[in-house]
Amino acid sequence: MGIFDKEPVMFEEDGEEDLDEEASESGSEEDEDVKLTEPSKNSIYNRDGLLDKLGDICWPENAGWIHRLSIDVNQEQEVDVNDDLTREAAFVMQALEGTKEAFEKLKSMKINCFRPPDYYAEMVKTDSHMEKVKGKLLSEKRKIEEAEERRKARESKKLSKEIQAQKQKERAKQKKEEIESVKKWRKQRQQSGFAVGEKDADMNLPFEDGKTFERSNKKRPGVAPGDRSGGKAKRGVGNPNKQKKREFRNSKFGSGGRKGLKKQNTAETTDDIRSFNGGKVTGNKKRKR
Amino acid sequence: MGKKRKQIEAEVVEPEEIPERPKRTLLGWKDKSLVPDEETDSKVFRNKEKVLITCSRRINYRYRHLMLNMVSILPHCKKDNKVESKATKGATMNELVELRSCSSCLFFECRKHKDLYLWMAKCPNGPSVKFLVNAVYTMEELKLTGNHLKGSRPILTFSNNFDKDAHWKLLKEMIIQIFGTPKEHRKSKPYHDHVFVFSIVDDHIWFRNYQISDKGPREDREKMTLIEVGPRFCLNPIKIFGGSFGGPTLYENPFFVSPNQIRALEKRKKAGKFAKKVKAKTRRKMHELSNPLEPDEFADMWKE
Repeated sequence: MGIFDKEPVMFEEDGEEDLDEEASESGSEEDEDVKLTEPSKNSIYNRDGLLDKLGDICWPENAGWIHRLSIDVNQEQEVDVNDDLTREAAFVMQALEGTKEAFEKLKSMKINCFRPPDYYAEMVKTDSHMEKVKGKLLSEKRKIEEAEERRKARESKKLSKEIQAQKQKERAKQKKEEIESVKKWRKQRQQSGFAVGEKDADMNLPFEDGKTFERSNKKRPGVAPGDRSGGKAKRGVGNPNKQKKREFRNSKFGSGGRKGLKKQNTAETTDDIRSFNGGKVTGNKKRKR
Repeated sequence: MGKKRKQIEAEVVEPEEIPERPKRTLLGWKDKSLVPDEETDSKVFRNKEKVLITCSRRINYRYRHLMLNMVSILPHCKKDNKVESKATKGATMNELVELRSCSSCLFFECRKHKDLYLWMAKCPNGPSVKFLVNAVYTMEELKLTGNHLKGSRPILTFSNNFDKDAHWKLLKEMIIQIFGTPKEHRKSKPYHDHVFVFSIVDDHIWFRNYQISDKGPREDREKMTLIEVGPRFCLNPIKIFGGSFGGPTLYENPFFVSPNQIRALEKRKKAGKFAKKVKAKTRRKMHELSNPLEPDEFADMWKE
């Protein structure tokens, strides 16, 4: 930027005065901002030059508002820059007020503001781009809906669990009551003088002692639980030698316990050369010396 | 088939009274009486603004997209090739603008692939401003859902603190001239369906572009809603020069810190960390040497 540095500084006294003014004005806001420091002392502010230039570039007086289309909007209060939401809201408010004012002016000039619905023309964003925007909106909506659904399902699951528990409780209670009532009835019958006959003996229903039908707890030694063969599975299948081998293998590879140590080589197994053929050269006919 | 359609159209059109269009000649309106009064008195003002939009070489894609968005927003602009950004670019830019017969220029200068500077200049002899551009969102961003006619004239709204100071006034005038589409520009369209917001917050100029949608939430015709179209950016004025791309400095932002300085400061802060650690270590060592521990009397109690 060599050109600019050499330029003479004009109206220096004037500039410094203005600077002080500005510093006092804006100093209070700047404190929060990390990037801004104290206002530098020797910065230029040439008010007359600026106003001169403004006069130079200004359009002539007879240029009506219709050429500028600019609206000034009052900004009521200071906007906090770092609060995105209020800042954007302030911008939208400014735009809204501005458009309202502008539209009134345009209407008074009898100029159409909105395009008619059958006026088709090139837009700033292409149709394919707008399609993408639409897709994004839809997918967002769907995401929200899905989340909602999941939340509902979770809640209903919780609720249904409670209901299930209650039902079970109720069922148990009902059963108890029924058993109770039967017992009562029996007692009453006994008291009212029915002899306990042979007929009644087999009325001794199993559920009377509170137990329902249960599998007998008798343990069967040497039979796997769930073995339905009646203990035949164990008895000799094939020759005993094979079975031994199977047992050994089971102990080595079967389930239960750590295998790591058993499957590792030890000093003995390393010295064991049974599996080698004692240095006999087997005929690899292709490798001839 | 064709006849039927014609009938329907005629029915629709009739109730609205449409003033008959004056005949156009190559040079203007044939019937002078229909031209608005303000233009007939004295000399007719005609806005012939043309804006040259270009950028420096090695520009970031994001900033390039911003530039292209500006091109699509401003129908009265001309886009040019990238320009090498070096010390004498002021002269080249002036030449280029003259060559393309433009009256103002927006030059996007990207440095170090991260900092974007925007030059806004009125070209033969007007002032020029250099901005630092922050918080850039391009129009391609999907959360900006609005859309508007390409070439419709925007309504420019300014917050009232543009009248607070001389340099803001000058900036406002420049923005009106550069961002406003000239009336009756041949690429402009007759309706007004978007609005630009220029607002000074925290000594920065914030730019927003909203679509004006007449389809409000209700059937109310007067109720309009705004939908953001983009792009968004924030301009931090650095300097105002008297000439175009040069000339005497009229204004200098007293609060401006260049991004390079900020980065350097951060780096220096980080650099101090290791030195501090080493210093602390040596200090500790010295401390330990200067006051040694007393020999522990129980040290060899459990040794036989």
